[in-house]
Amino acid sequence: MRLKTRRLLDRAFSGMGLIAIGVMALALVVILTPIISKGTGAFVFRSTIEHRKVMSDHWGRGNADRVEKAKGQAAAARKPVYDLLSAFESELDTMPRAERKPYKKPLRDLQKALQNLLGPAPGARTPVLIRQQYGATRWDRAKIKLDEVLYTEEWDYSNPEVLGVLVKTPRVEQFCGTKLEPLFAYVEENSKPMMQPRWTFYWQFLFDTSKDSHIFGGIGPEVLGTVYLTLGAMIFAIPMGVIAAIYLCEYAREGRVISFLRICISTLAGVPSIVFGLFGLAFFLNTIHISDSKSVLAGALTLSLLILPTVIRASEEAILAVPRTYKEAALSLGAGRWHTVMTVILPAALPGILTGIVISMGRAAGETAPIIFTAAVSVGRPLLPSQVLSNPTPALPWNIYNLCTEHEAVDEIRHVQFGMVFTLVAVVLLLNVVAIIMRAKISKKLRG
Amino acid sequence: MLPHSKIKIQNSMTPPLQSSKRSLVMNASTSRLRRLGGLLGQGFLFSVTSLSTLTVFFIFYFIAKDAFPFFKLEGFREFFTSTRWYPSGDPAEFGTMAIFFGTGIVTLGAVAVSVPLGVSAAVCLSDVLPFNARQIVKPVIEILAAIPSVAYGFFALVVFAPLLQNHGGAVLAAGACLMMAPLLVLLVVVASDLIADRCFDLMRRKARWVAGLVLGAAAFTLMTYIGRQLGAIEIASGANALNVSIILGIMALPTVVSVSEDALQAAGRDLREGSYALGATRAETILKTVIPASLSGILAAVILGVMRAIGETMVVWMASGNAARIPGPWYNVLEPVRTLTATIAGDMGEADHVTGSSRFHVLFAMAFCLLAFSFVMNLVSEGIVRRSRKKLGK
Repeated sequence: MRLKTRRLLDRAFSGMGLIAIGVMALALVVILTPIISKGTGAFVFRSTIEHRKVMSDHWGRGNADRVEKAKGQAAAARKPVYDLLSAFESELDTMPRAERKPYKKPLRDLQKALQNLLGPAPGARTPVLIRQQYGATRWDRAKIKLDEVLYTEEWDYSNPEVLGVLVKTPRVEQFCGTKLEPLFAYVEENSKPMMQPRWTFYWQFLFDTSKDSHIFGGIGPEVLGTVYLTLGAMIFAIPMGVIAAIYLCEYAREGRVISFLRICISTLAGVPSIVFGLFGLAFFLNTIHISDSKSVLAGALTLSLLILPTVIRASEEAILAVPRTYKEAALSLGAGRWHTVMTVILPAALPGILTGIVISMGRAAGETAPIIFTAAVSVGRPLLPSQVLSNPTPALPWNIYNLCTEHEAVDEIRHVQFGMVFTLVAVVLLLNVVAIIMRAKISKKLRG
Repeated sequence: MLPHSKIKIQNSMTPPLQSSKRSLVMNASTSRLRRLGGLLGQGFLFSVTSLSTLTVFFIFYFIAKDAFPFFKLEGFREFFTSTRWYPSGDPAEFGTMAIFFGTGIVTLGAVAVSVPLGVSAAVCLSDVLPFNARQIVKPVIEILAAIPSVAYGFFALVVFAPLLQNHGGAVLAAGACLMMAPLLVLLVVVASDLIADRCFDLMRRKARWVAGLVLGAAAFTLMTYIGRQLGAIEIASGANALNVSIILGIMALPTVVSVSEDALQAAGRDLREGSYALGATRAETILKTVIPASLSGILAAVILGVMRAIGETMVVWMASGNAARIPGPWYNVLEPVRTLTATIAGDMGEADHVTGSSRFHVLFAMAFCLLAFSFVMNLVSEGIVRRSRKKLGK
């Protein structure tokens, strides 16, 4: 082979490695971009007057006068719509029966679509479900609802060769020549005055409870539940893990027992997370009955077992990274082994141990499988600290799953789902960034 | 040991301090007491350590305890041979082969994604990139590893599945072309070079050009053909084995990269320098010397990647489609599948009300299979790593 080809192959080989790293970085960007861009949409978005109504009705937020004023403006803009509707209804009454009939269903559909956009018509009975008491609260949803008012959608399956095709027809065609015809043009042109969209920073999303299964409100109970579970897991895992690491590094003599313990630790690290969940169910709940139902305590214990190997390994690494000279100096001054560990080795290893703890905190916050059977419920109120021993809690990871697979209005609450994922990912990444920075500082210090 | 006598520190220059009356050296009885305390402390440390490590036995015991009733009630035969999974039917059927198959194919797919990418990235990290660039790439890997699995699952279900469903053919074609293009270009250049080598000196340059053009045209035709074929595919459901395999592959990447990078680093400088001294290029050094020397470590990385993919729950539960049957031709990754972990997670909600029935215990039987498998895999990878360390003399 020519030297040139060999060099080319060499370059190509390096190139392939770079491409692999590029693909990895690309994957990260591709995964994080929609989560971040749509997730921030749960916090910063164009809210409609309906959102402000929900806020002032259920949380007492916002300047009452200004909300009333905006409500008045919106109602004024919406009045022609309802006028046209009632005009059409009286027109229907004058029609002969046979002519009236074909308008019945389209009219009902239109009224439904209008209710989805604007909320219940003035004077109508207040619906029971909160979700029907208000129109579209977000401008992006409102635009979709507006589209549904203007067009009817149907799936066309007539061609068996291809999958179904979506056909959109303007709704106005159904009402040609009636008094309702101008309504569509009016709605299309006056959507903004009717909805009063305005940029809002809804930071309370993080702390608000949800209304009507997450259709309104925030993710407060989930955030709180995740905090409880994570802190609980750390309370159990940190002492056990750090003590085990101290023993393994400083006291244990390499031998059969220790290598056996090490195998146990690596096996524990390899146990699938769902098996931890089953174990938590079978042991904590069904065998020792730590609580009557699922509870934060059982979930935290299960999670602590899951992160124990991580904590042990990270602490071991940190302790082993303490220079030998530190230890020798302490011993030569007459300090006992325990004394050396407590006053010299642990303080020196502390930043490293903390780094490991921070990383495993991120892991505990994000794990779903172990808490499915032990701690998580789909809907719940925020727990008081006194209730954690006996009550289950909603938690971010579980509710992300639950909202995007089992919720009855999946598409309506995309922003809540993305908001939850964004919050979880942001927390985990923040913890990891902290850990990375801490590690960089430590390595700088150790290098001198 | 120091002599057990009292020594008082006194300094004639400065008046003795009050606190210095305490002796620096302890007497016999305190020393004994301390040693006893030390022993007790050590015992305490040992018991905490063993408690935390022996939980793994607890896990084995309690999973097995709830798994055995299933085999007692239903026997082994159906569980391991049938593909019919109707746990709530009457009579209920508990054939798990289709579910085992689902786990298998998804894991294979994940390995196919993560091993080539991961090993080349590891080679690049350990041998190609300079130290500073490595410090930038490492956090990327750490962040990939840190993203919670439910976030990956959410991405697979909400972003990736609709994309596959609506633009399936285009996505497949683009992916395949992007993968093939650099490989084909490389192949054409090398092949034309090899052909030219066989010609006479005078014609060599021309021959290289001609061969390059002909082969390039052939490669281009091949690529467009494959791209067309793939582009015509319509995917009925975005929640399928391919989707999950790709996402699981990305999730397993950090494990594969970091473990195989360690293995490559462990091969040592002397091996590399020996190879360079013989005139090998970097690619030749890595392919012919470093990788064979660290093969066992890379194997361990692959095993750990496999374990990560097998044990993953949320992604497969959300995005694999959860259909408990073996797809049309078995290699059809565009069909939905169902895995062990997803079955455990999904069915426990219903089975929980019937604690004690076969339906409840079958899930533990599955978990036991998972546990046993991951235990064996773990032992194998540990053994491999230990042996290779011994071989490399570290």
